[in-house]
Amino acid sequence: MMKEQVVCKTTDIQPGEMMESFFGKQNVLICRTPDGEFYAFMNQCNHQGAPLDKGMMCGATTEHSKPGEYHYCHKGEILRCPWHGREFDIKNEGRMLANPDKKLPSFKVRVEGVEVIIYK
Amino acid sequence: MPKKIPLVDTDIHERVQYQELLEYLDEPFKHYIQNCHWIQEKHMPYTQPSVAGVDRADAVIPDGRPAGSDLSFMQEQLLDDVGHKFGILTGALDPSPSSMHGWYEMAAALASAYNDWQIDKWLEKDERLYGSVHVAAQDRDEAVREIERVGSHPKMVQVLLPIDDIMWGDPYYHPVFEAAEKHNLMIGMHHNEPPVYYGKWPRYFIEWHTLIPTAHMKQVTNMIFNGVFEKFPNLGLMMIEGGFTFIPHMMWKMDQQFRDLRHEVPWLKRKPSDIMKKHVRFCTQPSEELSKKDFMSLLEQMGTDEMICFATDYPHWDYDSPHRALPNLDRELKEKIYGENAKKFYPKIPNSRERYDEGTSRL
Repeated sequence: MMKEQVVCKTTDIQPGEMMESFFGKQNVLICRTPDGEFYAFMNQCNHQGAPLDKGMMCGATTEHSKPGEYHYCHKGEILRCPWHGREFDIKNEGRMLANPDKKLPSFKVRVEGVEVIIYK
Repeated sequence: MPKKIPLVDTDIHERVQYQELLEYLDEPFKHYIQNCHWIQEKHMPYTQPSVAGVDRADAVIPDGRPAGSDLSFMQEQLLDDVGHKFGILTGALDPSPSSMHGWYEMAAALASAYNDWQIDKWLEKDERLYGSVHVAAQDRDEAVREIERVGSHPKMVQVLLPIDDIMWGDPYYHPVFEAAEKHNLMIGMHHNEPPVYYGKWPRYFIEWHTLIPTAHMKQVTNMIFNGVFEKFPNLGLMMIEGGFTFIPHMMWKMDQQFRDLRHEVPWLKRKPSDIMKKHVRFCTQPSEELSKKDFMSLLEQMGTDEMICFATDYPHWDYDSPHRALPNLDRELKEKIYGENAKKFYPKIPNSRERYDEGTSRL
């Protein structure tokens, strides 16, 4: 297992977008939230293994909603699985919204110049 | 001689006869029954399931009146014989004001008359009996007024709603829940004329009777996902006469759906099975014949032994005997299922753990 690796360039991903890459042989997902920050997760849903890069980055309805009235925020910070639609909070360690005890395996990320580097 | 266990029977059917309602009805409604011989149209299409229709044949009153229509006979055959601590009356559903799809004024008048008759002839005549508020739910505001009128009676413990074309989580019913919560009343569901097939009857009685739990599953699902228990945190739901073996399925299914589809119902602060555990209770009757092993396995799957409450459904044909319907359970579990669970659920039922040698059943 490699300790660190350049997985993409900052110019490869616009804020609010994501792409898959490889960390050694491991398929990883690089997400760039609207504020420009980078995050990296295993590119596989922890539910049934769907490729997360085929899903979407969006917002979510929140627990501040009242019956029949939606409160929506965290635009671009929620990763939704392409299969069953499970939601993961990119900026909160990849935790699942419906059950925050579960989270996506994640990687540390740093940016050096235009290089996005992930490491264990 | 085993120690006695206090029994709380969560489904007993008292029955009114139309003539008895006259003294509780105002004009012109009294006139329609007294002079015009009005009776509610009932339309269950089946031949009756048992030798005395839907009743236990031995519960028909010796003078020929229908089963459940005489307090002293019920005392003798059920309350004294079994040794009930408490019993909850759920009505005989004829007349059933909520299933009248026209003439709402008559429905509302019948509900009020029925409640007054129930209080007068049953609740105030036997200290063991507690009651259900009947409402004409198709006139929601009238239903709220009726809850305000009789809901504070110390022996009224729940409001019965109809299984009809408005699901119970719909905002239409929220003022009813608000009134119920205000008076410490739970909501009770007892199938009446359930549209198992959305308004139509299955071809055979055996199908309808088998599928009653599906009507219960719809209402529980609808109330939970519509956030009723988030909006009314002190409200509880008692599911009467739908059985209980489907509970683990519902819990698993709703939780699984919530993990995938949470975004649609973000107002839920807890996972659906946790909401069920806290707010919903299920009467055991009509119980399937389970071995103790199967019964215990089911409780393990539910993750709690506090969701189910024993019910006889006296005097109906599919009565569950407190002595024979469930497998022989350990004493502590028996105390919960036969009494403690219901006492904890209904805030208006005395909840002190009494001495087991006083006025209690020989379970």
